[in-house]
Amino acid sequence: MDRETIARVAKVARLNLTEDEMERYAKDLDDILNSFSVLDEAPAGESYSFNPIPVVDVLREDEPAQDLDPQVLRNQMGAYEDYVRGPRLS
Amino acid sequence: MSAVYDLIRYAQLRHRAFTEVVDRLDDGKFHFSAKDNLCADGFQARAGSAVLDGYRPPFDATPIQKMKEVGGQLVGKTTMDEFGFGTFSTNSAHGVPLNPFDLERSCGGSSGGAGAAACLIPGHIALGVSTGGSISGPASFCGVVGLTPTYGRVSRHGLIDYGNSLDKVGLLARSASLIAKHFRTIAGPDPKDPTSCAQPALPEKGKMPRSLAVPKEALQNLDPAVRSSFHDALARFKDIGVEVREVSMPSLRFALPAYYILATSEASTNLARYCGMRFGRREEELNQHFNDFFTGVRSESFGDEAKRRILLGTFCRMVGFRSRYYLKSLAVRQLLIEDYRTIFRDHDAVVTPTMPFVAPRFEDISRMKPLEMYGADVLTVPPNLTGMPHVSLPCAYVQGLPVGMQLVADHWKELDLLEAALAWEKAFEYRFPEVSP
Repeated sequence: MDRETIARVAKVARLNLTEDEMERYAKDLDDILNSFSVLDEAPAGESYSFNPIPVVDVLREDEPAQDLDPQVLRNQMGAYEDYVRGPRLS
Repeated sequence: MSAVYDLIRYAQLRHRAFTEVVDRLDDGKFHFSAKDNLCADGFQARAGSAVLDGYRPPFDATPIQKMKEVGGQLVGKTTMDEFGFGTFSTNSAHGVPLNPFDLERSCGGSSGGAGAAACLIPGHIALGVSTGGSISGPASFCGVVGLTPTYGRVSRHGLIDYGNSLDKVGLLARSASLIAKHFRTIAGPDPKDPTSCAQPALPEKGKMPRSLAVPKEALQNLDPAVRSSFHDALARFKDIGVEVREVSMPSLRFALPAYYILATSEASTNLARYCGMRFGRREEELNQHFNDFFTGVRSESFGDEAKRRILLGTFCRMVGFRSRYYLKSLAVRQLLIEDYRTIFRDHDAVVTPTMPFVAPRFEDISRMKPLEMYGADVLTVPPNLTGMPHVSLPCAYVQGLPVGMQLVADHWKELDLLEAALAWEKAFEYRFPEVSP
């Protein structure tokens, strides 16, 4: 895996990597993906599912409910006067 | 303080089994612990990661709530690899648990603290979580019983996700009877986790497996002592009237790559929520662009293996690679389910060793490359990938260290596995280390 590719993957994953990390992870991913190329020999299945068992939709009456106190959640996020604080968007 | 509390503190201080324990035990309650990726009111939930330092969820995960409802006291949170990313519990920001049989060896991972607690504290029941072998592995290295239920049997409401299509909450303890008792407590549908709502009801009783299949492909690359111990265990099964037959399951060789691709793909999206605002560690320097803020927190807080898995999963999902890796792995999962089902037409369960070797020394682990570490999961990944229930049982001791064997059954047949485990325990005596707190 070349430097450009690992840098692109890290950017998508929102990770800053040092030069040393970039080199090390590129080598690791190369080793791992080369080993995983055995998958090319697996038969191409027609069917697959995103879960190993069938999953059903769970529906309920649309009634208002409150499991958790919103103030407790706001405290976890360090809210200021009921506003969640965050960095600039632009 | 009680003798049990002394053991809990001993397990915490000497073996680093717990990240946090209660100050005292309540009268009249049984004691249980939870892996640190299960949310519990009154405890931090950090899942072994610095990015969650300080996070105190205001609610109990459903399995914890159910254990409390039947008289349990949650006595502590157990140490683990960061978000479950590991085979030896060495990838943790909050301490590496030490093996109950030898302090210089691993407890296995990622529920390593749970394995140690279950071994060191008689009568203790530990809630573990498995994505690719994180209950079986520690059960094998710590010499305890570990049950990983069918995917969807136990609610995951309140579990900090690793891989949504793979995560399962299960149990570790010194005996199958203790696990059988508490498995009924935590199993069952929960509207807060839709994947738990498709399950059939648990039967009154399981059916003792009478025929075991041993895939010959699973016996490659084993430590010779593990191989020999496993064959002795098969002979003992025959002695108690169980038929054992060798079978072939060539698709097993695809399980490890398919698992790692699906697991890291799912993890790389799940971990996007840790951005320094909502949970745990908060970045106070807000005068930054959102992307710089988010990237900075993640880069400083995630450990080495977490970054590696995020990168691998992100790569496998990228345009141009998705079909080759992610979609192919989904198809391989289906192929393995069908191959297990073919075996289950003639046999009640599949049996293999749990791990290819006994608990390794930390100095040996430090020399392993990532790919070698992933390879250690070769026997635990197939049932986890396919969502099949499995149980790991101690089956031998090699130079004082436990060896585990793993039985796998078809979806929803956990009670059959527990019948086999109960029969096994009558034929084989487990050993536990002498403990003097």
